[in-house]
Amino acid sequence: MSLLSRAGFLLRNIVHRGQTEADLNEELLGYQRLLIEEHIRAGLSPADAQRKALIDIGGVEHVKENVRAARNSAWLEGVWQDLRYGARSLRRVPAFTATAVVALALGIGASTAIFSVVNGVLLTPLPYRAPEQLVTVMHNGTDPVASLNYFDWRAQFKTFSSLSAAQAWSPNIAGAGDAERVAALRLTANMWTTLGVAPIVGRVFGENTETAGRDREVVLSYDMWKGRYAADSAVAGRTVLLDGDTYTIVGVMPNGFKFAPFWSRNAQLWAPLALHDRAGSRDDNSLRVFGRRKDNTTLAQARADVARVTSRLETEFPRTNSNVEVTPLLEQATGGMQRPLVVLLVAVSFLLVAACANVAHMLLARSSSRQREMAVRIAIGASGARLARQLLCESLLLSSAGGLLGLLIASSGTKVLIALAGSTIPRAENIQLSFVVLLVTMFVSVATGLLFGLAPARNAMRTELVSSLKDGGRVESAGSANAGFRHVLVASQFAIALTLLIGAGLMMRTLAAMHDVNPGFDPHGVMTAEVSVKGTPSSVAGNRLQFYQQLMEKMSQAPGVQAVGAINHLPLAGDVWGLGVNIEGAQAVDRAERRSAVYRVVMPGYFRAMRISFAEGHDVSANDRWSSEPVVVINEQFAKRYWPGGSAIGKRFALSGSESRAPRWMTVVGVSRNTVRSHWIEQPEPEMYLPYLQEPSYLENQAGRYAYLTLVVRTSGNPAALASLIRSAAASLDRGVSVSSVKTMDAVVESTSADRRFYLVLLSAFAMVALVLAAVGIYGVMSHAVSRRMHEMGVRIALGASRRDVMELIVGRGMLVVAAGAAVGVGCAVGLTRLMNTITYGVRPTDPLTFGGVTVFLLLVAVIACWIPARRATRVDPLTALRGD
Amino acid sequence: MTAPQTNLLQGTLDLLILKTLTLEHLHGLGISRRIEQITHGAFQVKPGSLFPALHRMEEAGWITSTWGASEKGRRARYYELTNAGRKQLAIETDQWSRIALAMQSAMLAT
Repeated sequence: MSLLSRAGFLLRNIVHRGQTEADLNEELLGYQRLLIEEHIRAGLSPADAQRKALIDIGGVEHVKENVRAARNSAWLEGVWQDLRYGARSLRRVPAFTATAVVALALGIGASTAIFSVVNGVLLTPLPYRAPEQLVTVMHNGTDPVASLNYFDWRAQFKTFSSLSAAQAWSPNIAGAGDAERVAALRLTANMWTTLGVAPIVGRVFGENTETAGRDREVVLSYDMWKGRYAADSAVAGRTVLLDGDTYTIVGVMPNGFKFAPFWSRNAQLWAPLALHDRAGSRDDNSLRVFGRRKDNTTLAQARADVARVTSRLETEFPRTNSNVEVTPLLEQATGGMQRPLVVLLVAVSFLLVAACANVAHMLLARSSSRQREMAVRIAIGASGARLARQLLCESLLLSSAGGLLGLLIASSGTKVLIALAGSTIPRAENIQLSFVVLLVTMFVSVATGLLFGLAPARNAMRTELVSSLKDGGRVESAGSANAGFRHVLVASQFAIALTLLIGAGLMMRTLAAMHDVNPGFDPHGVMTAEVSVKGTPSSVAGNRLQFYQQLMEKMSQAPGVQAVGAINHLPLAGDVWGLGVNIEGAQAVDRAERRSAVYRVVMPGYFRAMRISFAEGHDVSANDRWSSEPVVVINEQFAKRYWPGGSAIGKRFALSGSESRAPRWMTVVGVSRNTVRSHWIEQPEPEMYLPYLQEPSYLENQAGRYAYLTLVVRTSGNPAALASLIRSAAASLDRGVSVSSVKTMDAVVESTSADRRFYLVLLSAFAMVALVLAAVGIYGVMSHAVSRRMHEMGVRIALGASRRDVMELIVGRGMLVVAAGAAVGVGCAVGLTRLMNTITYGVRPTDPLTFGGVTVFLLLVAVIACWIPARRATRVDPLTALRGD
Repeated sequence: MTAPQTNLLQGTLDLLILKTLTLEHLHGLGISRRIEQITHGAFQVKPGSLFPALHRMEEAGWITSTWGASEKGRRARYYELTNAGRKQLAIETDQWSRIALAMQSAMLAT
């Protein structure tokens, strides 16, 4: 009741302040009139009555002030007053305010943005039922599994409630508009049980679809349903043409459902995987296997179970079940990102600490220069609590301004991060601004502000009033606790700046080392595009070769085009198929050392278009047809491994797997330089380039994986300009043909180092901010010390110290602080860079050049920051300094 | 106005105000006159302490105010007791009697 009443009045006092005041005024006026009437009744003249009434009241304004103080809104008004006063006094020192606010905002904003990424990528659960039970079961953790193994595992594993398999698929989807290739997956029907996610429209496909001919059902992603079918709720039952075959749409998955999380991430369609009619094999490693652990089993039990079954199978079928690993799905999905994100998180936390240290020592600096102000206020009667409240209001203003600006930085920073790294970071779609983190970081900064904001009040109450008023707060002994603490703060800022700079330096060296890698081809000026004839008239045997030859012919006539070629799988961007080879005349070897090479199929001109040079021999030609003698180009690694010490030209080998028939021996006509394969940094493997004209599967096979080629066009002009030309040339030959993955080779190369560039950009940004904070810090401390010691410097100069001595004194003192910080920083950097070992390349984590260079650079910045205030000290006119006031 | 004045004990003012308002609603001057009257001029309440007390007690919900006309038709703010105020009065009266009794027996002790 009473509380309610108080609250009501509090609201009235604040909201209807004017009315309350007017009422009070009228009440007192009424009181005065009644008093006057009373006095007149007692016999006084009106004038005397009025005078006496005023005396009795004892000052209307005084009464009003007392009433205001009695109101429960009194403290609020006090705070409001303090806030306004605080804002005014902060405005008087704009440089201080701006630096503190910006530093805080950067610290809060950057750490919130980075943690939001970590939260979205590493901590958000996968969008499946009980995702912690989901695992992948694959060779070496990531290598695909053969179908017969999958069947055996499914039958024999005891710790899994279901075991499913998936295979990549990229069908041409036909319908309104141009033909288009979409990312898709084929799944065993029990995958839906494994994942435990229900469709929002229709149903998923059942077990009966796992045989050829009945596998013509498809489940759509939410995005595809929205984009292509306008979210039609009656979509189930409609048909869609995929790779020329008619599929029935049976269902739509919910928004946010993605599968698989670590590969084929953008799959828009899921269709049945008809495994049963495959000639079972333990060689066709093409399946990714997913399992759900039973409710009461641990990961360790599942691993033991898998180890038991696979080792038994391994004894039965040697070299088919080696190194089968169970990996939690979330780890599989984020695996490569864990370490880099932890590095970034550590780096950004350092930045937040540096920002808080910055605010802390700026507040401390301000506190000593405000000693006199505080002393005056105490002298005229301000209580300690009153001063504390005012200082707290000021710090609060500072921290909240920093927090608000930090919120802006965090929200735009998160967007920038997604834009920068959307393609390199898995699960980027889960990244959103984390308000919990924002609150925590703001709390840290506000707490810093409060803690150090109180320093002036504490100082003021501790110092003796008289002395502090007398010397006007000009002299500060160099060894005071306050100054010592500020030195610690500045030193720690240097430690942080050094750590971050070294991290950034290592990334820079890594990128430089990667830039120096010779990919074996020249990516500049090359345009590439995947051209798929799947499901079109051009796909038919006989038409296909003609289509590609005409397309290449058309492209070669385009202005500026220097060379045109085509390959099945483009290095870095394309698939990698390893096939076994039998070297003519070589002894048979057991499975472990089975000879194999990367299988590439090229149109003549590929080597010229990519500028891959030949160590020996020459390119395949348009005359190498099915009817003529089979030829092949191999890379240097192939030659080195299988024909060591001697020329490979003229040697013959055949693809294995066709032992039943007579081997089709291919003669080596050229040895090309090694090129990078699927990663920018890796050891070369044997590779072979078969002429397209001699590969029947590529000429005739209707399966999607054979029915496309990647066109490679070299131009003297801007390669990006060729994009539309390739599309129109393909469309003019056959409208049904789809052109996709249109990228310049430069872009392909760039995407392989995109992740590292992303880390470099972030680490450098953090390092630069930390460096600026540290420089501002040491500058602030030194210039503050100098202005405090002007008098002392004057005395020293008067006593004969040279300007050089003074300079050395000041700079030396500053550098002592910096050196201490740098020493700690080197220690921290060793720790941080050890975490970075998975993302650096071509440089040791403790690279002496980086460590040395960065330290020298940092010391240089520090010397300059100390030198500027020191110069001021040397210019002291001893007379002025001594005269003082 | 030279009657002997006694300084009001802390908290006594509230009790006196509540007491004066038990019979009828009064305006500010009325309250201070009534206090003078019932304490035989021992306590004179100045507006500088009367009005802050009135406003404080109103915010606490013990009394409530309305605008009305004085005997001579002047606009004045009248205060009256609320139920909460009556309860408060009972509490404070009880407390005061105990203090007064205790003080008295203390003074009489030898």
